[in-house]
Amino acid sequence: MAMAAMTRLDPGSRAASRGWSDLAIRNMFIIPTIAFLIVFNIFPLIYSLGYSFTDYRASTNQAANFVGLQNYRELLGDEFIWNNFVVTAKYVIVSVTGQVVVGFGIALLLNRAIPFKGLITTLLLLPMMMSMAVVGLFWKLLYDPSWGVINYVFHLGDFAWLSNRDAALYAVAITDIWMWSPFVMLLSLAGLSAVPKHLYEAAAIDRAGKFYTFRRITLPLVAPILLIAIIFRTMEAFKTFDLAYVMSSQDTTELISIRLYKMAFQEWQTGRSSALAYIVLIMVLAITNIYVKYLNRVKER
Amino acid sequence: MAAVRSRGQLVANRAAIAAVLVITLVFLAPIYWIGSTAFKPRALATTVPPTVFFAPEITPFIKLFTKRVQLTKPVDEATYNAAPWWEQRILDNGERVLRTGENVQLSAYPSRFMNSLIIAITSTVLAVGMGTFTAYGFSRFRVKGEQDLLFFILSTRMLPPVVVAIPMFLMYRAVGMTDTHIGLIILYTAFNLSFSVWLMKGFMDEIPKEYEEAALVDGYTRMQAFFKIVLPEAATGIAATAVFCFITAWNEYAFALIMTNRRAQTAPPFIPSQLGSGVIDWTVIAAGTFLFLLPVAIFTFALRGHLLRGVTFGAIRK
Amino acid sequence: MLRKTFTGLLAGVGFTLVGVASAAAEDLTIFWAEWDPANYLQELVNEYSKVSGDTVTVETTPWSDFQTKAFTEFNAKGDAYDLVVGDSQWLGAGATGGHYVDLTDFFNKHKLSEVMAPATVKYYAEYPSNSGKYWAIPLEGDAVGWAYRKDWFEDPKEKEAFKAKYGYDLDVPKTFKELRDIAEFFYRPDEKRYGIAIYTQTTYDALAMGFENALFSYGGDLGDYSTYKVEGIVNAPVAVEALEMYKELYKFTPPNWGNTFFQEDNQAITEGLAAMSMNYFAFFPSLLNEATNPNAKVTGFFANPAGPTGVQSAALGGQGISIVSYSKKQEAAMKFLEWFIKDETQKKWAELGGYTCSQAVLKSAEFQNATPYNKAFYETMFKVKDFWAVPEYAELLSQLNNRLGPYVVGDKGTAKEALDGLAKDWTETFTKYGRYSN
Repeated sequence: MAMAAMTRLDPGSRAASRGWSDLAIRNMFIIPTIAFLIVFNIFPLIYSLGYSFTDYRASTNQAANFVGLQNYRELLGDEFIWNNFVVTAKYVIVSVTGQVVVGFGIALLLNRAIPFKGLITTLLLLPMMMSMAVVGLFWKLLYDPSWGVINYVFHLGDFAWLSNRDAALYAVAITDIWMWSPFVMLLSLAGLSAVPKHLYEAAAIDRAGKFYTFRRITLPLVAPILLIAIIFRTMEAFKTFDLAYVMSSQDTTELISIRLYKMAFQEWQTGRSSALAYIVLIMVLAITNIYVKYLNRVKER
Repeated sequence: MAAVRSRGQLVANRAAIAAVLVITLVFLAPIYWIGSTAFKPRALATTVPPTVFFAPEITPFIKLFTKRVQLTKPVDEATYNAAPWWEQRILDNGERVLRTGENVQLSAYPSRFMNSLIIAITSTVLAVGMGTFTAYGFSRFRVKGEQDLLFFILSTRMLPPVVVAIPMFLMYRAVGMTDTHIGLIILYTAFNLSFSVWLMKGFMDEIPKEYEEAALVDGYTRMQAFFKIVLPEAATGIAATAVFCFITAWNEYAFALIMTNRRAQTAPPFIPSQLGSGVIDWTVIAAGTFLFLLPVAIFTFALRGHLLRGVTFGAIRK
Repeated sequence: MLRKTFTGLLAGVGFTLVGVASAAAEDLTIFWAEWDPANYLQELVNEYSKVSGDTVTVETTPWSDFQTKAFTEFNAKGDAYDLVVGDSQWLGAGATGGHYVDLTDFFNKHKLSEVMAPATVKYYAEYPSNSGKYWAIPLEGDAVGWAYRKDWFEDPKEKEAFKAKYGYDLDVPKTFKELRDIAEFFYRPDEKRYGIAIYTQTTYDALAMGFENALFSYGGDLGDYSTYKVEGIVNAPVAVEALEMYKELYKFTPPNWGNTFFQEDNQAITEGLAAMSMNYFAFFPSLLNEATNPNAKVTGFFANPAGPTGVQSAALGGQGISIVSYSKKQEAAMKFLEWFIKDETQKKWAELGGYTCSQAVLKSAEFQNATPYNKAFYETMFKVKDFWAVPEYAELLSQLNNRLGPYVVGDKGTAKEALDGLAKDWTETFTKYGRYSN
């Protein structure tokens, strides 16, 4: 392969003849990262793919036996696992939607001349700087019907957020929304501030309605970055473990990651949990792929 | 511009500012609650109605740093009076300090905190550093299958931690890297690298190529141009990326729990352990949380100018 | 003043470092969960350091992570811990997985099966049952008991009202029926007072332990521990009755009682929420401490009540101490155990607040009168039963949580359906591990 094809800069420039060649620099900059990620991400993945076809248990010294697709078959036929997936889907939808609505809403409000704007924006980031497990603990205290602040302030009496089968998942989602809306807000702010001012001015001159301006100018221009925020949040929400694990222990809040954790690190069913991990991974990949396709389409527009 | 200054706009603007203030207060309320609980006497942590005003004390922090045990019988007055003031605070709370010989036993908090600092800082430097190089490589040179490679890098972030945890754990066990600082540093670096590459690529794309070209014409080598021209231009992006990576590494829980024990464990798994066994002592957990929030909050506030500008900068995609 | 403290703290750090560096003798690490008994144990082993020169450190982690952490280390064949104070259910996994050192010879040499209380030998040390093979030394005896509000029980007005409603005197419950009545009687949401606090958490063994209290006193069993037969035992009519009773008790708990374990149950007493509260004895010291429990003076204790047929039993907690087979300091660990089982060590252990399993100490009047609950503890320790101790116990626990959790907390299905489902799951699991083939 000709070196000329490797660089976007003029290959005949004198740079190429001094110091390292561009090719060497490119390789030195990119290859270590790719290699690093392969060793620490792809290698473990292949490892666990292998285990997913066995009955291996890391807790015993017995060798693994090949069991074919048995783990996958059993998992997909397990009603409790299906329940975990349904719970997870509900959780992802509620919490990501909430984060987008709240985060984008705050960004819209903040997108104007406001005193101490930088300070306020940074203060709003505080929730996402904390550890999920600790946040979960404290929200448990806040939600407590006997001495928690939430029920006291909103006069909810002894409504038991986290023991109520129907409310518990939403209670966890509210906490997640509190924690991660700031992330969506930050990215939305970035998108909003990138909308050229003259477009708004033109719309104002045309006496376009507020809603019209929002739909036709603001939203399309912010959409790509908003989608990036949604992609990251969906991936994270799918993986949520500590928050729900700390806050509630019901079957209506048992996210797939919790089941996975129990299977892998309490029951030590290494083989079977590897299989479940693969099912989860394929789902996340599929969902992200749809998003990314959509993102590319939005970008093209 | 006239339209912006209309009466209606002005009112709307004021309303928006008011709304922002209210929302900020609502968002900060739980954090205020944690912060204030860290300075409360234990009995005031779970009162009805909730206690907002109180005389702050530092007893929770004294407890956080010491190894304590329930008193099974009250101490006599002479012992109490002979104890230093901070130990009296602990005795007042129905506990006593554990000692080895004459020396007070410290809790694991200070050493876990140090581990957190070492691991989070090192892995952030590594992730941001590698991310910057790689992003520059992708941004400036033609790479075969660039889109696929970038998607591959992104996809490493999709793995639920538990998916990698088992094989990682088995791998670490094979090479003896469980419970080592370097083990966690590598994990967190791998975890943050994809984010770092993606974010930095956005920034790099925004830096005009002409800058380096001018430098090359002036006789710089490519490496000199990168370090002297590109890096300073990318400072804002680097700062923003560093903040995100640091937040993630600082708070990571699952791997820290599974992969480390006493030597290299970080603070996040320790803080909930302060729940204790008898009765939940919210004040100590709050104190631990409060102190633990400080480094990351200070870091973010120090870089906040970069962060806000940086996110804007990298986000404007073509 | 502040500076002095910091100097002290720094000196502490310095000492720790020097201590490690100058350890000519062995430096042993014991792993246990984060709770008061672990701190008492640290104090006890400090004495050992004085006589032997070996330093012993008790390393702890929260209960919720204890199992995961211990087994992660075992599975990595790590030598971070020389000894581990493991849950009784771990015995099978520890023994068959090769993680624990076989202590049979040690056990027999010191005649520990006579020295220690029988239940503790059976459940903390021996695996498989009746095999005569021992893997641990009983260290902390524990069982589930009850705390109650003496002032509520003794209030003459309450006594009168109770008698009028139920036709017998309000007193410490002797049977589950009485327990239920009293729970119902004190359940007054308008006054922010509730009847009873029980275990309901489904992340590990909380719900299982809670249910066992009812099940065992009803004369039921989880299965036959030698043949692994569960069908017709864990879903027998008495078991169904016991589960229905447990569910009935849940109705009288304080609000938000769907994710509770020892901390919440103690809190039910300290915050004045409940009349009665189920908990392990090891968690009771903080209820006697006026600094942690404003109601300390009016808190009483009783043993798990009997079932309808008069059988009285309870769920076993507690742990034995084992030597980790990957430790490089097994000899020093063995020497430590020799010291630990001495009578005077056991006595000192009880004085410090540990729950010795030594029969001699347990039977002494001194021990029984030391606290208001020691007597109840002593009585309970001779009639307890435990959960499965097979290596696959964690799967069995998950299945129990899956089946029973939604019924007790979530009102889903019936007790019979839940237990039938459990019997089916357990049979499948035992089949999978070949328990029926020999």
